[in-house]
Amino acid sequence: MAELLKVRGLETQFRTREGVVHAVNGVDFNLVEGETLGIVGESGCGKSVTVMSMLRLIPSPPGKVVAGEALYQGKDLLKMSDEEIRHIRGAQISMIFQDPMTSFNPVLTIGRQVAEPLEIHQGMNRHQAYDRATEMLELVGIPKAKDRLGDYPHQFSGGMRQRVMIAMSLVCNPSVLIADEPTTALDVTIQAQIVELAKDLRDKLGMAMIWITHDLGVIAGLADRMAVMYGGFIIETAPVKSLYGNPSHPYTLGLLNSLPRVDKDINRRLESIEGLPPILMETPHSCPFAPRCTYVKERCLVENPPLLEAGPDHYTACWVDLETRSYR
Amino acid sequence: MKVESAEILLRVDNLVKHFPIKRGIIIQKTIGAIHAVDGVSFNIHKGETLGLVGESGCGKSTTGRTILQLYRPTSGHVYYNDIDLSTIKGEELRKMRRKMQMIFQDPYASLNPRMTIGEIIGEPLVIHHLADKKGTQARVEDLLELVGLSGRFYNRFPHEFSGGQRQRIGVARALAVNPDLIICDEPISALDVSIQAQVVNLLEDLQKEFNLTYLFIAHDLSMVRHISDRVAVMYLGVIMELATRYDLYNDPLHPYTKALLSAVPIPDPVAEEKRHRTILKGDVPSPVNPPSGCRFRTRCPIAVEICAQLKPEFREVKPGHWVACHLV
Repeated sequence: MAELLKVRGLETQFRTREGVVHAVNGVDFNLVEGETLGIVGESGCGKSVTVMSMLRLIPSPPGKVVAGEALYQGKDLLKMSDEEIRHIRGAQISMIFQDPMTSFNPVLTIGRQVAEPLEIHQGMNRHQAYDRATEMLELVGIPKAKDRLGDYPHQFSGGMRQRVMIAMSLVCNPSVLIADEPTTALDVTIQAQIVELAKDLRDKLGMAMIWITHDLGVIAGLADRMAVMYGGFIIETAPVKSLYGNPSHPYTLGLLNSLPRVDKDINRRLESIEGLPPILMETPHSCPFAPRCTYVKERCLVENPPLLEAGPDHYTACWVDLETRSYR
Repeated sequence: MKVESAEILLRVDNLVKHFPIKRGIIIQKTIGAIHAVDGVSFNIHKGETLGLVGESGCGKSTTGRTILQLYRPTSGHVYYNDIDLSTIKGEELRKMRRKMQMIFQDPYASLNPRMTIGEIIGEPLVIHHLADKKGTQARVEDLLELVGLSGRFYNRFPHEFSGGQRQRIGVARALAVNPDLIICDEPISALDVSIQAQVVNLLEDLQKEFNLTYLFIAHDLSMVRHISDRVAVMYLGVIMELATRYDLYNDPLHPYTKALLSAVPIPDPVAEEKRHRTILKGDVPSPVNPPSGCRFRTRCPIAVEICAQLKPEFREVKPGHWVACHLV
């Protein structure tokens, strides 16, 4: 499979009144054609900042990508001119945002907004673009799509608006779709609709996806590979079944054990992870999870672990083997 | 568990809450009503946790608030130990409020930013004349320790705390007056996954220690399964199904409950692969003009003619298992 994206050593910092916040601290990942990568983490772990940095969508100041490269088909997105990256964003790599309410322009019609990328990227005229927009809206399941081109975003419900957003992001046939918590604002029954739609479209159109979420449930049925983030680091990455079946980082294990299940009774206390996620004001010299970790050992406090091999294609940033509780 | 034998603490009888829709600036005319809660009946037994689940806008929070008489019911009754809360007012009602407290969803909006933690938690004690100044401080410090915080936080302000810690402060405030019943209105949905388990464990510990009764309002069906003894499922202002936790999750009878359960993602890729999903079509209809007959019929996969004509009766089909559906 051809490699589409290759991110190496990505680091992003934000200048704040309290000092420099290290939001992303050297993130590496790859994405191959047709693959779905799930990025999981809690608020503030740097998952959104990672993809925003890659697409150069970080407002600067206060934010700044200070190191790393993000190769898309061999070309570094971080070194491109503004003109060049504009041809990639929305055309070859497109994005869906969390809140379908605030990410549309409220004073433009849906037809105008879905057709716009076609006019810009593919040089279609208004008529062609609207025809193609209609097709796309039908594909994502908007009933009577042609009649709704003249409607404004507020005339759609939350779930429908998210469908329109998906249509807009896919209208130019991108090879990578980045979805940033696309179902967080939706009810479960609507979330199930959107997840099914995304799976269906992925199979039809064959694009690769990066799906960012804090919900280990949503992503379990969707991703091929997973990356778990904590404190601006990827702390574990593995194929989806390996990650859920054999979590090798105490944080991943803790997250999985803290979740109740709808399909079975858990007649014990939920395991909680005590303490709070860190806000890093400097490059850490110890494992950022160490203060909350129940497996912590001496080495964790003096050296931040890199990603170590824990199994076939399974990497974890932990010095300790969770089964034997000794150094790996 | 102790379902039928237990003493009934709270009895809700055909509770209705409509919010008028008004038009006009000087002369206001009522042009319609939002049917937020439309004839809800259930009991809460002493010492149990009743889960109340449903999608946004189904009236679950309004039910909670109407029970506490924060909204006055349009019709129907709420009996607390045989005292009809819907008919009493003033000092009499205030005295009853001591027995019933609430924990709110948004820990950022439910604490006054200009008050110290001591003032926030101590306020109920002052209002109900339960302690003098010195006694208040001692009690507040005890409460802070009880919810896993430190008495040293007495003079701090809410902005100095994280979401999870603020929710603990909200819990301490609710406990201040030694209530019997606590209405938890989505107490964990604004929190991160690893923090949710902390707060849920705290609520469970406190329940055991003080023999508290909870009405636990939530949209997270997995968490409700974990914490509840019995569960009620609401849709558009009506309870569709009410049963023990075991019956509701293992043998759901109402088509809405079935669809809702099948929409909840499971954090396990192997289980997800094997699952068969019922995906509901469309959105929840507007509560201004709810469908005739059964409220769920517009999205119901098995609806027949009678569903549009006749409102299904909420009846007990098995001991302790209540359903509102013609086809069950």
